[in-house]
Amino acid sequence: MFAPLGQKTSQVARNFLPFLTTLFLVLLGVMVWPVPSLGDIAPTFGLAAIYYWAVYRPDLLRPSSVFVLGLLNDAVNDMPLGLSGLLFLGVYQLAVTYRRFFAGQHFLMLWLGFAVLSFCAALLSFAGLSLYKGVLLQPLAVTAQYVLTATLFPLLAWLLNRTQRFFLTQG
Amino acid sequence: MALQSHRTGWVYTTAMSWRVLGHRFSFILFMALSAGLLVIGHAQPDVIEQVRVKTVDLVSPVLDVMAQPLDAMEDLAARLQSYHAVLAENEKLRADNASLVRWQNKALSLAAENTELKSLLNYKNEPAAAYISARVIADTGGAYARSLIVTAGTVDGVRAGMAAMAGDGLIGRVIEVGDWSSRILMITDINSRIPVVVTPVGDQAILGGDNKPNPKLLYLPQDSNVREGMRVMTSGHGGVFPPHVPVGVVATSRQGQFEVVPFASLGRISQVKLIDFSLAGGVANKLARTLPAR
Repeated sequence: MFAPLGQKTSQVARNFLPFLTTLFLVLLGVMVWPVPSLGDIAPTFGLAAIYYWAVYRPDLLRPSSVFVLGLLNDAVNDMPLGLSGLLFLGVYQLAVTYRRFFAGQHFLMLWLGFAVLSFCAALLSFAGLSLYKGVLLQPLAVTAQYVLTATLFPLLAWLLNRTQRFFLTQG
Repeated sequence: MALQSHRTGWVYTTAMSWRVLGHRFSFILFMALSAGLLVIGHAQPDVIEQVRVKTVDLVSPVLDVMAQPLDAMEDLAARLQSYHAVLAENEKLRADNASLVRWQNKALSLAAENTELKSLLNYKNEPAAAYISARVIADTGGAYARSLIVTAGTVDGVRAGMAAMAGDGLIGRVIEVGDWSSRILMITDINSRIPVVVTPVGDQAILGGDNKPNPKLLYLPQDSNVREGMRVMTSGHGGVFPPHVPVGVVATSRQGQFEVVPFASLGRISQVKLIDFSLAGGVANKLARTLPAR
C-alpha cells in the first residue's frame, strides 16, 4: 500500500535529477579552468541542459525550477537578476512546444534546434545587456561563446542522455 | 466497457487540459517575475545586490568543492613542469638572485635616505597595509563581464573597496562582500575605472576596462609624453586606492590607442591578495558601491 522510505527517497531524487544536473552545469560554467582566458568565452552549459530536459523530460523540469536556475545564473555571473530567467524560460517554452519535432527526428534536428534557440538567446542577451549597461559590448566574445556552446552540445547531450538512461529508466 | 473507456478518456482529456493550463500559467507567471526583477534591479540596485550576495554565499561552498579537483590537477601539472625545468630554473634563479642583491643594497641605502628626509620634513607615514589571501573559486561573467568570486568574506575581514592583487600587480577591487565569499571586479571589466599615473613622466590618466585583455589609458593630457614600456601605477586620486600600487606596462593597441599590459596574468588566476590599506572614513567603501561599476 505504501512505498518503502528508500523507494520514496529514490523517487524524489529522480524527480530532481534534471534540476540538479542543470544546477551542476550552471556552476561548471563558472569554474576556473586550467586553460587561460577560457572563462571569457565559457560555454552556457545551463542553457543546453534546460533545452535537453525540456525536450525529453519537461514533466521533471517545471517553469519554477527554470526560473530559480535563471536567478542563480544571474547571481553567480554578475548579470542583472531576471535576465537569464527570461532567456531560460523562453528557450524552455519553445523547446517544450516543439519537443515532438526535436525529439522524434534525427539527432541533427535536436542539435539544429539548440543552435537556433541558443543563437536567439545569445543575440537577446547581447542586446539586452548592451542596453542595460549603456555601452556596446564586445560581439567577438559573445560569438565565440555561442560557437563553443553549440559545438559542445552533442557531447553534453550524450552525457545527459546517459544520465537519463541510468537514473530515470531504472526501477 | 465502452462507457468505461469513454469516461476514462474524458477524465484524461480534462486532466491534461488543466495540466497544460497550469503549465502555461506558471510560465507566464515566472516570465512576469523575471521581468519584474529586472525592473526592480534597475530602480533599487541595493535590494537586488543583497539577493545576489546571499545567493553567491549560498553556492560558494559548492563551488569550493567543485574547484578542488581542478586545483589539484593544476598543482600536479605545475609540479611536473617545475621538475622538468629544474636545471634551467636554477640557473635563472642564481642570476636573478645576484641582480636582486644589488637592488636590495641600493633599496636599503635609498630607504635610509628617505627616512632621514621624511624626518626632516616631519612627514606622516602612510598606514601599513594588511593582506588577506583568498582562493578563486569562480571566473564569472563569461562574455559580458569580468569578475571573480573568492573564498573570503566579512568573517575574514574583507570590505568592499579593497584592492585585489595577484602576483606582481593589481587585478581589481572588491565590489560585493558576503559572509564567506566576495566578488572582485577586474580592471578589464567594462565598468572598471581606476585613476592611475604613468611613471616616470608623471602623467595622470584613467585606466578603463572594455572587456578586452588589456585595459585602456583614458583621458591622458594633450601634451602627454607617455611612451611604450613605461610603468603604470595607481595615483591614489579619488580615494579608491592608495598611490603606487603597480598595475602594468604601457603598450599600443592595434587602433593606436595606449593600453596597459597588466603585470598580473589575468587569464588564469587561482589565488589573490586582498589588501586593506586602511583608508579611514570608509571612502573606498562608499566609492566601491557608487563609482562607475554599479
